[in-house]
Amino acid sequence: MNDWVFRAEGVTKSYDGGKTFANRDVSIEVRPGEVYGLLGPNGAGKSTFVKQIIGLLKPDTGSLHLGQHDLVADPDAARQLCSYLPQATMPIESFKVHEAVRLTGRIRGGSKSATDERCEELIDALQIREWRDTLGTKLSGGVRRLVGFIMVTVVPGRVVILDEPTNDVDPLRRRLLWEQIRLLGQMGAAVFLVTHNVLEAEKSVDRLAVISEGEVVAEGTPSSLKVADRGRLRLQLMMVPGTATPELPSMVRDHSRVGNNLMAMIDEERAGDGIAWARQAMADGLAEEYALAATTLEDAYIRLTGHISAIGAMEVAT
Amino acid sequence: MTGARVAVLGAVRSGPSYWFESLGAMLRWYLTSMRLLLPVFVVVQMLIASGFSVGISFFFEEITSEAALFLGTGASIIALILAGVVVAPQLIASEKDAGTYDFSWSLPVPRSANVTAWVMLNAVIGIPSMVVALVIADWRLDLDFSPSWTIAPAVVLALTCGTLIGSAVAHAIDRTSITQLISQVFAFGILGFTPITYPIENLPTWLESVHRVLPFYHMGVIVRGGLTDGPGEGIWASYGIVFGWTLAAAVATALVVGRRR
Repeated sequence: MNDWVFRAEGVTKSYDGGKTFANRDVSIEVRPGEVYGLLGPNGAGKSTFVKQIIGLLKPDTGSLHLGQHDLVADPDAARQLCSYLPQATMPIESFKVHEAVRLTGRIRGGSKSATDERCEELIDALQIREWRDTLGTKLSGGVRRLVGFIMVTVVPGRVVILDEPTNDVDPLRRRLLWEQIRLLGQMGAAVFLVTHNVLEAEKSVDRLAVISEGEVVAEGTPSSLKVADRGRLRLQLMMVPGTATPELPSMVRDHSRVGNNLMAMIDEERAGDGIAWARQAMADGLAEEYALAATTLEDAYIRLTGHISAIGAMEVAT
Repeated sequence: MTGARVAVLGAVRSGPSYWFESLGAMLRWYLTSMRLLLPVFVVVQMLIASGFSVGISFFFEEITSEAALFLGTGASIIALILAGVVVAPQLIASEKDAGTYDFSWSLPVPRSANVTAWVMLNAVIGIPSMVVALVIADWRLDLDFSPSWTIAPAVVLALTCGTLIGSAVAHAIDRTSITQLISQVFAFGILGFTPITYPIENLPTWLESVHRVLPFYHMGVIVRGGLTDGPGEGIWASYGIVFGWTLAAAVATALVVGRRR
Protein backbone atom coordinates (compact mmCIF):
# COMPACT_ATOMS: atom_id res chain seq x y z
CA MET A 1 0.00 0.00 0.00
CA ASN A 2 1.44 3.34 -1.02
CA ASP A 3 0.28 6.58 0.57
CA TRP A 4 2.00 8.74 -2.10
CA VAL A 5 2.95 11.39 0.43
CA PHE A 6 6.05 13.32 -0.52
CA ARG A 7 8.54 13.67 2.30
CA ALA A 8 11.82 15.55 2.32
CA GLU A 9 13.88 15.24 5.46
CA GLY A 10 17.00 17.22 6.25
CA VAL A 11 17.94 17.76 2.62
CA THR A 12 21.29 19.52 2.52
CA LYS A 13 23.72 20.30 -0.24
CA SER A 14 26.84 22.41 -0.03
CA TYR A 15 29.49 23.61 -2.43
CA ASP A 16 33.08 24.71 -1.95
CA GLY A 17 33.76 22.10 0.74
CA GLY A 18 30.84 23.12 2.94
CA LYS A 19 31.30 26.89 2.72
CA THR A 20 28.27 27.65 0.57
CA PHE A 21 24.93 25.95 1.06
CA ALA A 22 22.65 25.40 -1.92
CA ASN A 23 20.13 24.14 0.60
CA ARG A 24 20.27 23.34 4.23
CA ASP A 25 18.19 20.96 6.30
CA VAL A 26 15.08 21.28 4.12
CA SER A 27 12.21 19.18 5.52
CA ILE A 28 8.83 19.28 3.82
CA GLU A 29 5.82 17.01 3.60
CA VAL A 30 3.30 17.34 0.77
CA ARG A 31 0.17 15.23 0.42
CA PRO A 32 -1.49 14.15 -2.83
CA GLY A 33 -3.88 16.86 -4.01
CA GLU A 34 -1.97 19.71 -2.43
CA VAL A 35 -0.60 22.64 -4.38
CA TYR A 36 2.54 23.53 -2.50
CA GLY A 37 4.40 26.77 -3.12
CA LEU A 38 8.16 27.22 -2.90
CA LEU A 39 8.76 30.93 -2.55
CA GLY A 40 11.99 32.78 -2.32
CA PRO A 41 14.22 35.31 -4.02
CA ASN A 42 16.45 34.34 -6.95
CA GLY A 43 19.25 32.08 -5.82
CA ALA A 44 17.46 31.03 -2.62
CA GLY A 45 17.71 27.35 -3.51
CA LYS A 46 14.20 26.64 -4.82
CA SER A 47 15.30 25.24 -8.16
CA THR A 48 18.10 23.27 -6.50
CA PHE A 49 15.53 21.55 -4.32
CA VAL A 50 13.22 20.55 -7.16
CA LYS A 51 16.18 19.33 -9.22
CA GLN A 52 17.04 17.08 -6.29
CA ILE A 53 13.50 15.65 -6.40
CA ILE A 54 13.67 14.83 -10.12
CA GLY A 55 17.18 13.40 -9.78
CA LEU A 56 19.19 16.04 -11.65
CA LEU A 57 21.05 16.97 -8.47
CA LYS A 58 21.95 14.82 -5.51
CA PRO A 59 21.73 16.00 -1.91
CA ASP A 60 24.81 15.51 0.29
CA THR A 61 22.63 14.36 3.17
CA GLY A 62 18.95 13.94 3.84
CA SER A 63 16.24 11.89 2.19
CA LEU A 64 13.51 12.37 -0.38
CA HIS A 65 10.66 9.89 -0.45
CA LEU A 66 7.50 9.60 -2.48
CA GLY A 67 5.37 7.04 -0.71
CA GLN A 68 7.61 4.01 -0.44
CA HIS A 69 9.97 5.12 -3.20
CA ASP A 70 13.35 6.49 -2.19
CA LEU A 71 13.90 9.17 -4.83
CA VAL A 72 17.59 9.70 -4.01
CA ALA A 73 18.46 6.01 -4.25
CA ASP A 74 16.26 5.41 -7.29
CA PRO A 75 16.42 8.35 -9.72
CA ASP A 76 14.83 6.21 -12.45
CA ALA A 77 11.68 5.94 -10.33
CA ALA A 78 11.93 9.66 -9.57
CA ARG A 79 11.88 10.51 -13.28
CA GLN A 80 8.88 8.27 -13.87
CA LEU A 81 6.84 9.38 -10.89
CA CYS A 82 7.54 13.11 -11.16
CA SER A 83 6.81 15.48 -14.04
CA TYR A 84 9.11 18.48 -14.29
CA LEU A 85 8.65 21.79 -16.07
CA PRO A 86 12.05 23.49 -15.83
CA GLN A 87 12.46 27.22 -15.68
CA ALA A 88 14.41 27.16 -18.94
CA THR A 89 12.69 27.14 -22.29
CA MET A 90 11.55 23.83 -23.76
CA PRO A 91 13.42 22.29 -26.73
CA ILE A 92 10.49 22.36 -29.14
CA GLU A 93 11.77 24.55 -32.00
CA SER A 94 11.20 21.85 -34.60
CA PHE A 95 7.97 20.50 -33.17
CA LYS A 96 4.44 21.49 -33.95
CA VAL A 97 2.63 22.09 -30.67
CA HIS A 98 0.52 18.94 -30.82
CA GLU A 99 3.51 16.83 -31.84
CA ALA A 100 5.55 17.97 -28.87
CA VAL A 101 2.69 17.25 -26.48
CA ARG A 102 1.71 13.89 -27.89
CA LEU A 103 5.27 12.65 -28.09
CA THR A 104 6.08 13.63 -24.50
CA GLY A 105 2.82 11.95 -23.46
CA ARG A 106 4.01 8.75 -25.12
CA ILE A 107 7.46 9.11 -23.55
CA ARG A 108 5.72 9.52 -20.20
CA GLY A 109 3.99 6.20 -20.71
CA GLY A 110 0.50 7.39 -21.62
CA SER A 111 -1.64 5.35 -23.99
CA LYS A 112 -1.99 6.86 -27.46
CA SER A 113 -5.72 7.52 -27.35
CA ALA A 114 -5.81 8.97 -23.83
CA THR A 115 -2.77 11.15 -24.53
CA ASP A 116 -4.22 12.48 -27.78
CA GLU A 117 -7.52 13.22 -26.09
CA ARG A 118 -6.02 15.07 -23.16
CA CYS A 119 -3.66 16.95 -25.50
CA GLU A 120 -6.66 18.42 -27.34
CA GLU A 121 -8.49 19.12 -24.06
CA LEU A 122 -5.58 21.04 -22.59
CA ILE A 123 -5.02 22.97 -25.83
CA ASP A 124 -8.64 24.11 -25.58
CA ALA A 125 -8.53 24.69 -21.84
CA LEU A 126 -5.57 27.05 -22.18
CA GLN A 127 -6.99 28.62 -25.35
CA ILE A 128 -4.03 28.01 -27.61
CA ARG A 129 -5.82 26.08 -30.36
CA GLU A 130 -4.80 28.60 -33.02
CA TRP A 131 -1.18 27.51 -32.49
CA ARG A 132 -1.87 23.77 -32.44
CA ASP A 133 -0.09 23.20 -35.77
CA THR A 134 2.52 25.92 -35.37
CA LEU A 135 6.23 25.14 -35.10
CA GLY A 136 7.93 25.96 -31.81
CA THR A 137 10.22 28.52 -33.47
CA LYS A 138 7.21 30.65 -34.30
CA LEU A 139 5.64 30.70 -30.84
CA SER A 140 5.78 33.61 -28.42
CA GLY A 141 7.44 33.06 -25.06
CA GLY A 142 4.11 32.86 -23.26
CA VAL A 143 2.56 30.30 -25.59
CA ARG A 144 5.75 28.26 -25.48
CA ARG A 145 5.50 28.26 -21.69
CA LEU A 146 1.93 26.99 -21.87
CA VAL A 147 2.95 24.28 -24.32
CA GLY A 148 5.67 23.27 -21.86
CA PHE A 149 3.04 23.00 -19.16
CA ILE A 150 0.86 20.79 -21.35
CA MET A 151 3.85 18.62 -22.27
CA VAL A 152 4.69 17.82 -18.66
CA THR A 153 1.11 17.41 -17.49
CA VAL A 154 -0.47 15.59 -20.43
CA VAL A 155 0.39 12.44 -18.48
CA PRO A 156 1.07 13.82 -15.02
CA GLY A 157 3.24 12.12 -12.44
CA ARG A 158 2.38 11.69 -8.77
CA VAL A 159 4.43 14.82 -8.20
CA VAL A 160 4.22 17.67 -10.69
CA ILE A 161 7.00 20.23 -10.41
CA LEU A 162 6.37 23.57 -12.07
CA ASP A 163 9.28 26.01 -11.98
CA GLU A 164 7.89 29.50 -12.67
CA PRO A 165 5.07 28.22 -14.91
CA THR A 166 3.41 31.60 -15.45
CA ASN A 167 6.49 33.44 -16.74
CA ASP A 168 5.66 35.42 -19.90
CA VAL A 169 2.05 34.19 -19.86
CA ASP A 170 -0.65 36.82 -20.44
CA PRO A 171 -3.09 37.56 -17.57
CA LEU A 172 -6.09 35.81 -19.14
CA ARG A 173 -4.29 32.56 -19.86
CA ARG A 174 -2.51 32.82 -16.53
CA ARG A 175 -5.91 32.39 -14.88
CA LEU A 176 -6.68 29.43 -17.09
CA LEU A 177 -3.32 27.95 -16.17
CA TRP A 178 -4.09 28.27 -12.47
CA GLU A 179 -7.33 26.40 -13.02
CA GLN A 180 -5.44 23.54 -14.63
CA ILE A 181 -2.91 23.52 -11.81
CA ARG A 182 -5.78 23.17 -9.31
CA LEU A 183 -7.23 20.36 -11.42
CA LEU A 184 -3.93 18.49 -11.24
CA GLY A 185 -4.39 18.50 -7.48
CA GLN A 186 -7.88 17.11 -7.91
CA MET A 187 -6.46 14.32 -10.07
CA GLY A 188 -4.36 13.33 -7.08
CA ALA A 189 -1.00 14.84 -7.92
CA ALA A 190 1.07 16.74 -5.40
CA VAL A 191 2.00 19.96 -7.18
CA PHE A 192 5.18 21.88 -6.41
CA LEU A 193 5.00 25.43 -7.56
CA VAL A 194 8.27 27.34 -7.63
CA THR A 195 7.77 31.06 -7.90
CA HIS A 196 8.93 34.46 -6.78
CA ASN A 197 5.55 35.98 -7.56
CA VAL A 198 4.16 36.18 -4.07
CA LEU A 199 0.74 37.65 -4.82
CA GLU A 200 0.00 34.98 -7.36
CA ALA A 201 1.09 32.24 -5.00
CA GLU A 202 -1.03 33.64 -2.19
CA LYS A 203 -4.15 33.09 -4.27
CA SER A 204 -3.21 29.69 -5.62
CA VAL A 205 -1.37 27.50 -3.16
CA ASP A 206 -2.67 25.43 -0.28
CA ARG A 207 0.54 25.64 1.66
CA LEU A 208 3.94 27.08 1.04
CA ALA A 209 7.49 27.27 2.25
CA VAL A 210 9.45 30.49 2.15
CA ILE A 211 13.05 29.68 1.29
CA SER A 212 15.90 32.08 1.91
CA GLU A 213 19.58 31.29 1.47
CA GLY A 214 18.82 27.60 1.15
CA GLU A 215 16.78 27.29 4.32
CA VAL A 216 13.05 27.06 4.93
CA VAL A 217 12.42 30.18 7.00
CA ALA A 218 8.65 29.76 7.26
CA GLU A 219 6.10 27.14 6.31
CA GLY A 220 2.33 26.95 6.45
CA THR A 221 -0.85 28.14 4.77
CA PRO A 222 -0.81 31.66 3.28
CA SER A 223 -3.09 32.83 6.13
CA SER A 224 -0.92 31.34 8.85
CA LEU A 225 2.11 33.18 7.49
CA LYS A 226 0.21 36.44 7.68
CA VAL A 227 -0.73 36.03 11.35
CA ALA A 228 2.03 38.38 12.48
CA ASP A 229 0.51 41.12 10.32
CA ARG A 230 -3.04 40.66 11.54
CA GLY A 231 -4.65 43.92 12.65
CA ARG A 232 -2.23 45.90 10.56
CA LEU A 233 -2.45 47.75 7.28
CA ARG A 234 0.18 48.47 4.72
CA LEU A 235 0.76 52.13 3.95
CA GLN A 236 2.80 52.41 0.82
CA LEU A 237 4.40 55.61 -0.39
CA MET A 238 6.06 56.19 -3.75
CA MET A 239 8.82 58.56 -2.74
CA VAL A 240 10.07 61.29 -5.06
CA PRO A 241 13.28 59.90 -6.56
CA GLY A 242 16.31 61.03 -4.64
CA THR A 243 14.56 61.91 -1.40
CA ALA A 244 15.65 60.33 1.84
CA THR A 245 13.21 58.34 3.97
CA PRO A 246 11.52 60.87 6.26
CA GLU A 247 11.31 60.42 9.99
CA LEU A 248 8.55 57.92 10.63
CA PRO A 249 5.77 58.57 13.17
CA SER A 250 5.38 56.26 16.14
CA MET A 251 2.37 54.46 14.63
CA VAL A 252 4.66 52.79 12.08
CA ARG A 253 5.36 49.34 13.46
CA ASP A 254 7.70 48.19 10.78
CA HIS A 255 8.93 49.55 7.48
CA SER A 256 11.05 48.74 4.51
CA ARG A 257 12.18 50.70 1.50
CA VAL A 258 13.12 49.30 -1.86
CA GLY A 259 14.08 51.94 -4.38
CA ASN A 260 11.46 54.65 -4.13
CA ASN A 261 8.95 52.29 -2.61
CA LEU A 262 8.43 52.87 1.10
CA MET A 263 6.23 50.37 2.89
CA ALA A 264 5.11 51.09 6.42
CA MET A 265 3.02 48.73 8.55
CA ILE A 266 0.53 50.57 10.75
CA ASP A 267 -2.19 49.46 13.17
CA GLU A 268 -5.67 49.33 11.69
CA GLU A 269 -7.10 51.82 14.19
CA ARG A 270 -4.50 54.41 13.20
CA ALA A 271 -5.49 54.32 9.52
CA GLY A 272 -6.76 57.91 9.58
CA ASP A 273 -3.52 59.19 11.08
CA GLY A 274 -1.56 57.23 8.55
CA ILE A 275 -3.41 58.81 5.64
CA ALA A 276 -2.93 62.25 7.12
CA TRP A 277 0.81 61.61 7.45
CA ALA A 278 1.06 60.32 3.89
CA ARG A 279 -0.82 63.35 2.53
CA GLN A 280 1.52 65.62 4.43
CA ALA A 281 4.52 63.83 2.90
CA MET A 282 3.02 64.51 -0.54
CA ALA A 283 2.35 68.14 0.35
CA ASP A 284 5.97 68.47 1.46
CA GLY A 285 7.10 67.17 -1.91
CA LEU A 286 8.61 63.98 -0.48
CA ALA A 287 6.14 61.47 -1.91
CA GLU A 288 4.35 61.28 -5.25
CA GLU A 289 1.48 59.02 -4.26
CA TYR A 290 0.36 56.68 -1.58
CA ALA A 291 -1.86 53.63 -1.11
CA LEU A 292 -3.37 52.05 1.95
CA ALA A 293 -4.08 48.35 1.66
CA ALA A 294 -4.65 45.17 3.59
CA THR A 295 -1.49 43.28 4.33
CA THR A 296 -0.66 40.48 1.95
CA LEU A 297 1.67 37.56 1.92
CA GLU A 298 4.12 39.98 0.36
CA ASP A 299 4.59 41.68 3.71
CA ALA A 300 5.37 38.42 5.45
CA TYR A 301 7.68 37.55 2.58
CA ILE A 302 9.60 40.81 2.92
CA ARG A 303 9.88 40.31 6.65
CA LEU A 304 11.16 36.75 6.24
CA THR A 305 13.55 37.14 3.36
CA GLY A 306 14.52 40.79 3.42
CA HIS A 307 13.63 40.86 -0.28
CA ILE A 308 10.78 42.43 -2.12
CA SER A 309 9.07 40.37 -4.77
CA ALA A 310 9.28 42.89 -7.57
CA ILE A 311 6.03 41.87 -9.19
CA GLY A 312 4.06 41.98 -5.96
CA ALA A 313 5.26 45.41 -4.94
CA MET A 314 4.47 46.94 -8.29
CA GLU A 315 0.98 45.54 -8.35
CA VAL A 316 0.29 46.90 -4.89
CA ALA A 317 1.73 50.28 -5.75
CA THR A 318 -0.30 50.90 -8.86
CA MET B 1 -13.80 17.93 -17.25
CA THR B 2 -10.19 17.86 -18.36
CA GLY B 3 -8.29 14.76 -17.49
CA ALA B 4 -11.26 12.43 -17.38
CA ARG B 5 -9.33 9.59 -18.95
CA VAL B 6 -5.82 10.35 -17.81
CA ALA B 7 -4.85 9.40 -14.29
CA VAL B 8 -1.68 10.41 -12.53
CA LEU B 9 1.02 7.82 -13.08
CA GLY B 10 1.44 5.54 -10.14
CA ALA B 11 3.36 2.57 -11.44
CA VAL B 12 7.06 2.45 -12.08
CA ARG B 13 7.64 0.68 -15.38
CA SER B 14 10.54 -1.65 -16.11
CA GLY B 15 11.49 -4.56 -18.38
CA PRO B 16 12.28 -4.97 -22.08
CA SER B 17 9.02 -3.63 -23.49
CA TYR B 18 9.43 -0.43 -21.47
CA TRP B 19 13.01 -0.17 -22.72
CA PHE B 20 12.12 -0.64 -26.39
CA GLU B 21 9.10 1.67 -26.23
CA SER B 22 11.34 4.31 -24.66
CA LEU B 23 13.96 3.80 -27.36
CA GLY B 24 11.36 4.25 -30.10
CA ALA B 25 9.84 7.31 -28.46
CA MET B 26 13.21 8.96 -27.83
CA LEU B 27 14.38 8.25 -31.37
CA ARG B 28 11.25 9.97 -32.67
CA TRP B 29 11.89 12.79 -30.21
CA TYR B 30 15.46 13.34 -31.44
CA LEU B 31 14.61 12.97 -35.12
CA THR B 32 11.77 15.46 -34.83
CA SER B 33 13.79 17.89 -32.77
CA MET B 34 16.56 17.74 -35.38
CA ARG B 35 14.41 17.82 -38.49
CA LEU B 36 15.23 21.42 -39.35
CA LEU B 37 18.95 20.92 -38.82
CA LEU B 38 19.45 17.31 -39.88
CA PRO B 39 19.69 17.97 -43.63
CA VAL B 40 22.17 20.77 -42.97
CA PHE B 41 24.34 18.53 -40.83
CA VAL B 42 24.30 15.77 -43.43
CA VAL B 43 25.20 18.16 -46.24
CA VAL B 44 28.02 19.77 -44.26
CA GLN B 45 29.48 16.39 -43.28
CA MET B 46 29.18 15.28 -46.88
CA LEU B 47 30.95 18.37 -48.16
CA ILE B 48 33.80 18.00 -45.69
CA ALA B 49 34.37 14.40 -46.67
CA SER B 50 34.02 14.75 -50.42
CA GLY B 51 35.91 18.05 -50.40
CA PHE B 52 38.73 16.18 -48.77
CA SER B 53 39.00 13.40 -51.32
CA VAL B 54 38.38 15.62 -54.34
CA GLY B 55 40.65 18.38 -53.03
CA ILE B 56 43.60 16.14 -52.38
CA SER B 57 43.30 14.52 -55.79
CA PHE B 58 44.01 17.94 -57.33
CA PHE B 59 47.48 17.81 -55.80
CA PHE B 60 48.50 15.00 -58.13
CA GLU B 61 48.35 14.81 -61.85
CA GLU B 62 48.14 11.07 -61.77
CA ILE B 63 46.93 9.04 -58.88
CA THR B 64 47.37 5.28 -58.67
CA SER B 65 44.22 3.24 -58.26
CA GLU B 66 45.57 1.97 -54.95
CA ALA B 67 46.09 5.51 -53.62
CA ALA B 68 42.71 6.58 -54.98
CA LEU B 69 41.04 3.74 -53.14
CA PHE B 70 42.79 4.70 -49.92
CA LEU B 71 41.88 8.34 -50.29
CA GLY B 72 38.28 7.82 -51.39
CA THR B 73 37.36 5.24 -48.79
CA GLY B 74 39.28 7.16 -46.16
CA ALA B 75 37.36 10.35 -46.80
CA SER B 76 34.04 8.55 -46.47
CA ILE B 77 35.22 6.88 -43.26
CA ILE B 78 36.14 10.29 -41.89
CA ALA B 79 32.58 11.48 -42.53
CA LEU B 80 31.33 8.59 -40.44
CA ILE B 81 33.74 9.17 -37.58
CA LEU B 82 33.23 12.93 -37.47
CA ALA B 83 29.48 12.46 -37.05
CA GLY B 84 30.11 10.69 -33.77
CA VAL B 85 33.19 12.39 -32.42
CA VAL B 86 32.48 15.97 -33.52
CA VAL B 87 28.77 16.45 -34.27
CA ALA B 88 27.49 14.51 -31.24
CA PRO B 89 29.35 16.53 -28.60
CA GLN B 90 28.47 19.78 -30.34
CA LEU B 91 24.77 18.89 -30.24
CA ILE B 92 24.97 18.02 -26.55
CA ALA B 93 26.87 21.24 -25.81
CA SER B 94 24.26 23.28 -27.64
CA GLU B 95 21.54 21.60 -25.54
CA LYS B 96 23.43 22.64 -22.42
CA ASP B 97 23.80 26.20 -23.74
CA ALA B 98 20.09 26.45 -24.53
CA GLY B 99 19.20 25.19 -21.06
CA THR B 100 17.22 22.28 -22.47
CA TYR B 101 19.63 19.58 -21.28
CA ASP B 102 17.88 19.25 -17.89
CA PHE B 103 14.55 18.60 -19.56
CA SER B 104 15.94 15.96 -21.94
CA TRP B 105 17.54 14.03 -19.10
CA SER B 106 14.58 14.38 -16.74
CA LEU B 107 12.38 12.44 -19.16
CA PRO B 108 11.11 9.15 -17.73
CA VAL B 109 13.06 6.78 -19.94
CA PRO B 110 15.95 4.44 -19.12
CA ARG B 111 19.18 6.33 -19.66
CA SER B 112 20.56 3.42 -21.70
CA ALA B 113 17.58 3.66 -24.08
CA ASN B 114 18.08 7.42 -24.31
CA VAL B 115 21.78 7.01 -25.18
CA THR B 116 20.98 4.28 -27.72
CA ALA B 117 18.47 6.58 -29.42
CA TRP B 118 21.19 9.19 -29.48
CA VAL B 119 23.66 6.83 -31.19
CA MET B 120 20.98 5.99 -33.76
CA LEU B 121 20.44 9.69 -34.43
CA ASN B 122 24.13 10.01 -35.16
CA ALA B 123 23.82 7.09 -37.54
CA VAL B 124 21.19 9.07 -39.42
CA ILE B 125 23.71 11.88 -39.80
CA GLY B 126 26.82 9.75 -40.35
CA ILE B 127 25.73 6.97 -42.71
CA PRO B 128 24.23 9.13 -45.49
CA SER B 129 27.27 11.41 -45.29
CA MET B 130 29.49 8.39 -45.68
CA VAL B 131 27.55 6.97 -48.61
CA VAL B 132 27.44 10.25 -50.51
CA ALA B 133 31.12 10.89 -49.87
CA LEU B 134 31.86 7.46 -51.26
CA VAL B 135 29.74 8.04 -54.35
CA ILE B 136 31.42 11.38 -55.04
CA ALA B 137 34.88 9.91 -54.51
CA ASP B 138 34.01 7.06 -56.87
CA TRP B 139 32.82 9.50 -59.51
CA ARG B 140 35.93 11.67 -59.19
CA LEU B 141 38.59 9.02 -58.58
CA ASP B 142 37.02 5.94 -60.12
CA LEU B 143 37.43 3.68 -57.10
CA ASP B 144 37.90 0.00 -57.46
CA PHE B 145 36.01 -1.09 -54.36
CA SER B 146 34.02 -4.19 -53.57
CA PRO B 147 31.88 -4.05 -50.44
CA SER B 148 31.41 -7.19 -48.37
CA TRP B 149 28.97 -8.06 -45.59
CA THR B 150 31.47 -6.91 -42.98
CA ILE B 151 30.67 -3.32 -43.86
CA ALA B 152 27.55 -3.54 -41.67
CA PRO B 153 29.15 -4.50 -38.34
CA ALA B 154 32.14 -2.28 -39.11
CA VAL B 155 30.01 0.81 -39.67
CA VAL B 156 27.83 0.12 -36.62
CA LEU B 157 30.83 -0.42 -34.38
CA ALA B 158 32.82 2.57 -35.64
CA LEU B 159 29.81 4.86 -35.39
CA THR B 160 28.84 3.65 -31.92
CA CYS B 161 32.38 3.96 -30.67
CA GLY B 162 32.80 7.49 -32.03
CA THR B 163 29.43 8.67 -30.76
CA LEU B 164 30.02 7.28 -27.28
CA ILE B 165 33.47 8.87 -27.07
CA GLY B 166 32.07 12.23 -28.18
CA SER B 167 29.06 11.92 -25.87
CA ALA B 168 31.13 10.97 -22.83
CA VAL B 169 33.24 14.10 -23.33
CA ALA B 170 30.21 16.34 -23.81
CA HIS B 171 28.27 14.94 -20.85
CA ALA B 172 31.27 15.05 -18.55
CA ILE B 173 32.31 18.64 -19.19
CA ASP B 174 30.08 21.40 -17.88
CA ARG B 175 31.74 24.27 -19.71
CA THR B 176 30.43 23.99 -23.23
CA SER B 177 33.18 26.18 -24.65
CA ILE B 178 35.68 23.52 -23.57
CA THR B 179 33.55 20.82 -25.20
CA GLN B 180 33.46 22.81 -28.45
CA LEU B 181 37.21 23.22 -28.29
CA ILE B 182 37.81 19.52 -27.72
CA SER B 183 35.54 18.60 -30.61
CA GLN B 184 37.56 20.95 -32.83
CA VAL B 185 40.76 19.22 -31.70
CA PHE B 186 39.14 15.89 -32.59
CA ALA B 187 38.17 17.25 -35.99
CA PHE B 188 41.64 18.50 -36.87
CA GLY B 189 43.31 15.50 -35.33
CA ILE B 190 41.21 13.08 -37.34
CA LEU B 191 41.30 15.02 -40.61
CA GLY B 192 45.03 15.67 -40.61
CA PHE B 193 46.91 13.48 -38.21
CA THR B 194 45.12 10.16 -38.31
CA PRO B 195 46.19 7.53 -40.84
CA ILE B 196 42.80 7.01 -42.43
CA THR B 197 43.38 8.61 -45.83
CA TYR B 198 47.04 7.51 -45.94
CA PRO B 199 48.94 4.41 -44.72
CA ILE B 200 49.97 4.36 -41.08
CA GLU B 201 53.57 3.57 -42.08
CA ASN B 202 53.88 7.11 -43.44
CA LEU B 203 53.71 8.53 -39.92
CA PRO B 204 56.67 9.10 -37.59
CA THR B 205 57.18 6.04 -35.42
CA TRP B 206 55.95 7.66 -32.20
CA LEU B 207 52.71 8.84 -33.79
CA GLU B 208 52.24 5.46 -35.36
CA SER B 209 52.45 3.78 -31.95
CA VAL B 210 49.96 6.31 -30.55
CA HIS B 211 47.51 5.45 -33.32
CA ARG B 212 47.91 1.74 -32.76
CA VAL B 213 46.39 2.34 -29.32
CA LEU B 214 43.76 4.97 -30.17
CA PRO B 215 40.57 3.75 -31.87
CA PHE B 216 40.42 6.07 -34.89
CA TYR B 217 42.96 4.35 -37.11
CA HIS B 218 41.38 0.99 -36.31
CA MET B 219 37.92 2.33 -37.16
CA GLY B 220 39.39 3.15 -40.56
CA VAL B 221 40.85 -0.34 -40.88
CA ILE B 222 37.61 -2.18 -40.15
CA VAL B 223 35.39 0.03 -42.31
CA ARG B 224 37.86 -0.10 -45.18
CA GLY B 225 37.96 -3.86 -44.77
CA GLY B 226 34.22 -3.90 -45.36
CA LEU B 227 34.55 -1.68 -48.42
CA THR B 228 37.47 -3.39 -50.12
CA ASP B 229 38.82 -6.80 -49.41
CA GLY B 230 36.53 -8.15 -46.68
CA PRO B 231 37.70 -9.50 -43.35
CA GLY B 232 41.33 -9.86 -44.22
CA GLU B 233 44.02 -11.12 -41.93
CA GLY B 234 44.86 -8.81 -39.02
CA ILE B 235 41.55 -7.02 -39.17
CA TRP B 236 40.26 -8.83 -36.09
CA ALA B 237 42.82 -7.12 -33.90
CA SER B 238 41.40 -3.80 -35.09
CA TYR B 239 37.87 -5.02 -34.36
CA GLY B 240 39.04 -5.97 -30.88
CA ILE B 241 40.57 -2.56 -30.22
CA VAL B 242 37.52 -0.63 -31.48
CA PHE B 243 35.26 -2.91 -29.47
CA GLY B 244 37.35 -2.34 -26.35
CA TRP B 245 37.13 1.43 -26.83
CA THR B 246 33.39 1.15 -27.40
CA LEU B 247 32.97 -0.68 -24.11
CA ALA B 248 35.15 1.82 -22.28
CA ALA B 249 33.28 4.76 -23.82
CA ALA B 250 29.95 3.13 -22.94
CA VAL B 251 31.02 2.78 -19.32
CA ALA B 252 32.29 6.37 -19.29
CA THR B 253 29.03 7.63 -20.82
CA ALA B 254 26.97 5.63 -18.31
CA LEU B 255 28.92 7.26 -15.49
CA VAL B 256 28.59 10.83 -16.70
CA VAL B 257 25.31 10.98 -18.61
CA GLY B 258 22.86 13.26 -16.85
CA ARG B 259 25.17 12.94 -13.87
CA ARG B 260 23.73 14.12 -10.57
CA ARG B 261 26.10 16.73 -9.24
